[in-house]
Amino acid sequence: MTILFAVTATALWRDVWGHPAAPSSAPLLDAQFTNTATLRMSAAELIRTGGDTSGLTCGSCHDEKKKPVSVHFNADGTIRLPEEHKDLVMQHGRNNHCFNCHDPSNLELLKTRDGTTLKVEEGTKLCGSCHGPTLRDWEAGIHGRATGFWDPRAGARVKADCTSCHDAHSPAFPPIKAAPGPNLFRASLAGAREGAH
Amino acid sequence: MSESNCKCSGGGPGCSGSGGCGGHGHEGAHAPLTRRSFLRKSTLAASGIAALAASLAPLRELTDMPSLQEFVQKHYKELTPSDMEKALERIRGEVQRQYGLRPEIKDLKPMDGVEFVYCLNLTRCVGCRKCVHACVAENNQSRSPEIQYIRVLKMPNGTFDLERGDHDYKTESVPEKGAYYMPVQCHQCKNPPCVKVCPVDATWQEADGITVIDYDWCIGCRYCEAACPYWARRFNFAKPSVPKEKLNPNMAYLGNRPRPKGVVEKCHFCLQRTRAGRYPACLEVCPTGSRKFGNILDPASEVSYILRNKRVFVLKEEVGTLPRFFYYFDI
Repeated sequence: MTILFAVTATALWRDVWGHPAAPSSAPLLDAQFTNTATLRMSAAELIRTGGDTSGLTCGSCHDEKKKPVSVHFNADGTIRLPEEHKDLVMQHGRNNHCFNCHDPSNLELLKTRDGTTLKVEEGTKLCGSCHGPTLRDWEAGIHGRATGFWDPRAGARVKADCTSCHDAHSPAFPPIKAAPGPNLFRASLAGAREGAH
Repeated sequence: MSESNCKCSGGGPGCSGSGGCGGHGHEGAHAPLTRRSFLRKSTLAASGIAALAASLAPLRELTDMPSLQEFVQKHYKELTPSDMEKALERIRGEVQRQYGLRPEIKDLKPMDGVEFVYCLNLTRCVGCRKCVHACVAENNQSRSPEIQYIRVLKMPNGTFDLERGDHDYKTESVPEKGAYYMPVQCHQCKNPPCVKVCPVDATWQEADGITVIDYDWCIGCRYCEAACPYWARRFNFAKPSVPKEKLNPNMAYLGNRPRPKGVVEKCHFCLQRTRAGRYPACLEVCPTGSRKFGNILDPASEVSYILRNKRVFVLKEEVGTLPRFFYYFDI
């Protein structure tokens, strides 16, 4: 019995089993998945924040007074984009004509079907002139992003514009990158063993 | 006992004292102490004490024992304002020691005339899981082992059968064809089964509808975790690890303050934000605007509009929990 005690004492003292290794250092959250920015920047946001508005200055190439813009079509009826606008993807359903939304007499303005001209930063009204129920939801803060304060007494609610998320020429919400899924064993094996107690 | 053949009735020179025999007046208890028996007993005692001391040695390494003040602290509802100020000061000190920064911690109370409701648009959610990660960052959840309040289920189109939901989808790009996504988190039930089962009243429903947990009162029995039909509660099996530079210093007592090991935690609608008028972190980060939050008692709020105008349903309606978390469709 004495020997048993002595052996136990020595074994415990020398720590023959060893301590569980410290859990691996915590993985950091990837900042790209906690970024609250909108998918893209609307014209209004670009103008407000002083961003790159070079895409909005049509007059630097076009002068409608000298040469009115003409639109050319392919044999299948789709629009033929000139070289300078090849970056546009036209996928807005049957709404595939430039001057359904742009004002041909002043390219820096937008024009609704009923002839109302709008500034480029008023795009939401243009979209709403066709997408009525969506505009109604957007005005109520239901469609699209509304961030900031739910309580108007504490602060303002900021609603994103249509084009903060949708590309007007190809408005379907694009596929985006998914954040990694749950991983209950992201802790090292030691951490998992500690968890099993 | 040390000597297995020692009988109380027999006694004898080897019988060790009165320890095991219990009764007084036995012959063995008064056996003469010889040099031999003294040496035997003292060696035995010394090695026994040494073994005991060695086996208790890991206790010296315990650093996360509750302080005396935390140990004697009363239940949240019994704390006077000065008690609460003391508790907050203690937490400030603990956070400062552990994370090297002084947090902005408050005890935010429910607001009058406010009852929170959450609505989630299943037509718009693309399953990107950004809400999950924003929640972890905002609420100081343990990174390792991992604790997340939101689970995003990928569901095949045409069914609500949760058995067919997959929260472990590994696709790089979302959404996938033929699937829709249903994030699940605490539903802040009006009839919460988790609160009913808590044996120590460490979790309760507040006036604004948020079910909260007093992490200093929770005993870690995990009954609430078992009772929740939405798998919304998480248990800290290990001491939560949050990188120092990632700690969110904007804290609330019943909200995102650092939790000790051995307590349960869950979504509390980001009460450190929402009781200050802000939207929760999961809503702020959602790239599609699928998440809507607000005061259901205000007829002009977004959530009131949704409940009036949209097709709304609650998850597991049949279990009678009356959730404050609604799913809806756009079409």
